[in-house]
Amino acid sequence: MTAGGYFGRALVVDASAGTSDVLPLPDELLRAYIGGAGLGAWLMHHLGPPGVDPLDASAPLAYVFSPLVGTPLTTSAKFAVVAKSPLTHLLTDALASSHFAIAGKLTGYDAIVVRGAAAKPSVLLIDADGVRFEDAADLSGLTAAQAGTRLRQRLGERLGRGWRVAAIGPAGERGVRYATISHDGRHAGRGGLGAVLGAKRLKAIAVRAAGKVAPADPDAVLAAARDLRARSFGPATAKYRELGTLANLLAFNAISTLPTRNFQAATFDGAAKLAAEDLSAMRQVARHSCASCTIGCEHIYAGRDGRQTRVEYENVFALGPMCGVSDPDAVLAASARCDDLGLDTISAGGTIAWAMECAERGLIDAPWLRFGDGDALLKALDQIGAREGLGDLLAEGSRRAAQRVGQGSAAFAPHVKGMEMPGYEPRTLHAMALGLAVNARGADHNRSGAYEADLSGDLDRLDGGDAHVAAAVETEDRAAVMDSLILCKFLRGVFTDPFTEWASLLSAVTGWDVDGAELRRTARRIVLAKRVFNIREGWRPADDWLPERLLAEPLRLASGRMAGLTPERLRAMIDAYYTARGLDDQGQPGPARLADLRLS
Amino acid sequence: MGTPKAALEWHGSTLLRRTVGILARATGGPVVVVRAPGQDLPALPPDVEVVDDPREGKGPVQGLAAGLGALMDRADVAFVSSTDMPFLHPAFVRRVLRAVHEGADVGLPVARGYPQPLAAAYRTKLAPIAERLVRADRLRPAFLFEECVVYRLDEAALKDDPVLAALDPGLDSVVNINEPDDYRTARSQPGPEITVQRFGVLAAIGGPGGHRAPETVRAATVAEAAAAAGVDFGAHVTAALNGDQITRDGQTPLAAGDTVFFLSADAGG
Repeated sequence: MTAGGYFGRALVVDASAGTSDVLPLPDELLRAYIGGAGLGAWLMHHLGPPGVDPLDASAPLAYVFSPLVGTPLTTSAKFAVVAKSPLTHLLTDALASSHFAIAGKLTGYDAIVVRGAAAKPSVLLIDADGVRFEDAADLSGLTAAQAGTRLRQRLGERLGRGWRVAAIGPAGERGVRYATISHDGRHAGRGGLGAVLGAKRLKAIAVRAAGKVAPADPDAVLAAARDLRARSFGPATAKYRELGTLANLLAFNAISTLPTRNFQAATFDGAAKLAAEDLSAMRQVARHSCASCTIGCEHIYAGRDGRQTRVEYENVFALGPMCGVSDPDAVLAASARCDDLGLDTISAGGTIAWAMECAERGLIDAPWLRFGDGDALLKALDQIGAREGLGDLLAEGSRRAAQRVGQGSAAFAPHVKGMEMPGYEPRTLHAMALGLAVNARGADHNRSGAYEADLSGDLDRLDGGDAHVAAAVETEDRAAVMDSLILCKFLRGVFTDPFTEWASLLSAVTGWDVDGAELRRTARRIVLAKRVFNIREGWRPADDWLPERLLAEPLRLASGRMAGLTPERLRAMIDAYYTARGLDDQGQPGPARLADLRLS
Repeated sequence: MGTPKAALEWHGSTLLRRTVGILARATGGPVVVVRAPGQDLPALPPDVEVVDDPREGKGPVQGLAAGLGALMDRADVAFVSSTDMPFLHPAFVRRVLRAVHEGADVGLPVARGYPQPLAAAYRTKLAPIAERLVRADRLRPAFLFEECVVYRLDEAALKDDPVLAALDPGLDSVVNINEPDDYRTARSQPGPEITVQRFGVLAAIGGPGGHRAPETVRAATVAEAAAAAGVDFGAHVTAALNGDQITRDGQTPLAAGDTVFFLSADAGG
């Protein structure tokens, strides 16, 4: 009997043949990996050919749901898109929130996996009538939002209402290695999943609910939902509700944690112009919530031209300070342009910032590309989306671009494992530095929230050691569970005993007698499964590292204190991390740990 | 005094808590408290080390021997402070330490008319000498100074440091408390002048549109600064001192010229 909240099966679609199969997902497997990012990691192990090129037709891409999807638990309408990343050639998973999660799960599957490639641009449809493909020629070149609107209208007229669409923009069609998949204005952003879908010649996937799934204990789930909803209105989420994540920007600038001009500085003279504290009063036009969410973190700002854009810290950081741009209209326009093209803002901003530095150093022939020039930023984005001119190089991401340009430019390419770095300065956040270095996805702030420890006041953020290692492990474990259940990270502050509380939610939905200790073991399994996938795909110990610039160029803080991270200190923290994770000194697990992964 | 000096209340904290906080900030190194055997101490931050003075009633050189001895394997130089100097400024500590780094064994301030051996910098290698002097019952610091290179910093030398001259022009750093009246007088003074700035949702305190401009207030601790800024310094707020260290400890001492940023503790996203 399948546990509550699950269907116990995945749909595996072959886009080349236009056929599909059902992959049973036994109860013990679901309990071991839960769903979302965890189950996605297992699916990639199971279905991904070792060594496959992520843009090859045989590479699988999975939409993975979770047992909590469809329940009234706040923030649970989320799903993970999982594949081997064309940016890192390692595992990537990107989470997103929308009604696509609910409709997708209620097609009757815990995951939808796509392999193969259609013969021509197509749309994949899945509902109670099964799996079929439609011609998508008329959608080519459209933004994801345009494609979604047109497709929903078309399907609604012909097949009835209820369709939810996840689509790619022009960047995904052209194989930009950090293209996104978008739905209802939300994005599965990191790692180039849009390029994987584009390589399958799929402009979009459209799903429509076909059935229902019941939790094991509906009354307990309802009670938990009411409790969680009440807590979600409290002070732990006030930041997200009232100003959104952009509230980070000015605060990070004040504490020298705002990466600026491609990590040449950690404070930005123009930060005040981009501050949520002021911009929200002048530019905010709306606040929205994701599906099934009571927090409401989406802050919609209007540019001078009236265009409305969802604003978050990461897109403003990457397209603002990272590129030296302080004009809020230029940053809002660039963010909107990324949405239109279907580009991950962090990788786009990071890659362009690297190119700006190359141009200023005379390493590439692009005299028009300078830090602080908003018009140049927009031009670069357009070229990337079209893969034209310099954009064809930048569409490859900063690591590949630096390999081609050479001349020492790799030393300041802002990536880990090929993924561009988020807006957290490692030299002033040593726990986060470790989290960024060792994470399976690459430089990433969502799979490792170690910055929480750095910013908590519980340790010295400039003096990384054992406490920082423990914090990196703990936050990585917490993220592994939250990303598999799936619950929004913005809810994390409301849990006082998280693993126990999450186990209680999972028990109510599934009927399993899972407790906090089991969930901790599950977390470690998921983290390890990702690492083992990467090892299979060619990860090397040297990939757990940070860009050379961050280890060679200390920063002077306003207090006069020097903030640096030496290679020796990073090495010591990584070694301690390996020990804490039960890995050998080369970051490899032993046979006992491997057996626990249930991969064979 | 009626109350041990270390435990005297100081703006919601204690004199000892203030002293160790100022020294930790100024030196960036370990802080050691030397106490009489079995002496009760007020609450201290967890990273402060406490060592027992092996002999009671032997005066400051015994304390020097114990404290410098505890640090010998970790630091070349230590700043030694009594616990009864509530206006000790980090800039003063740094200036005095610099004197030893320039070649002396002891950096000895001479301020407000007196040498200040308990607001001075010492090489930790002096610990065995101090220990020998105690055993010989030579208990005055002057005996120690006879056996090493002492660099005396008069007021002019101290104020050569522009930061110290600006932030502690009267060299109040060396004012100590010996009598109840000293304490009452010192305690009646307002806290040091500092700057506070609120960020994120905290900037909205006081009305819509927010207020994030820096404000000047008087506060001797982070908790006092929070109160002055109207910030509820609870579980969802942290403070960044001079854009550097982040703390949730309201007893963190402040000194003139400090800047305190109040931030949302729910960082990230």
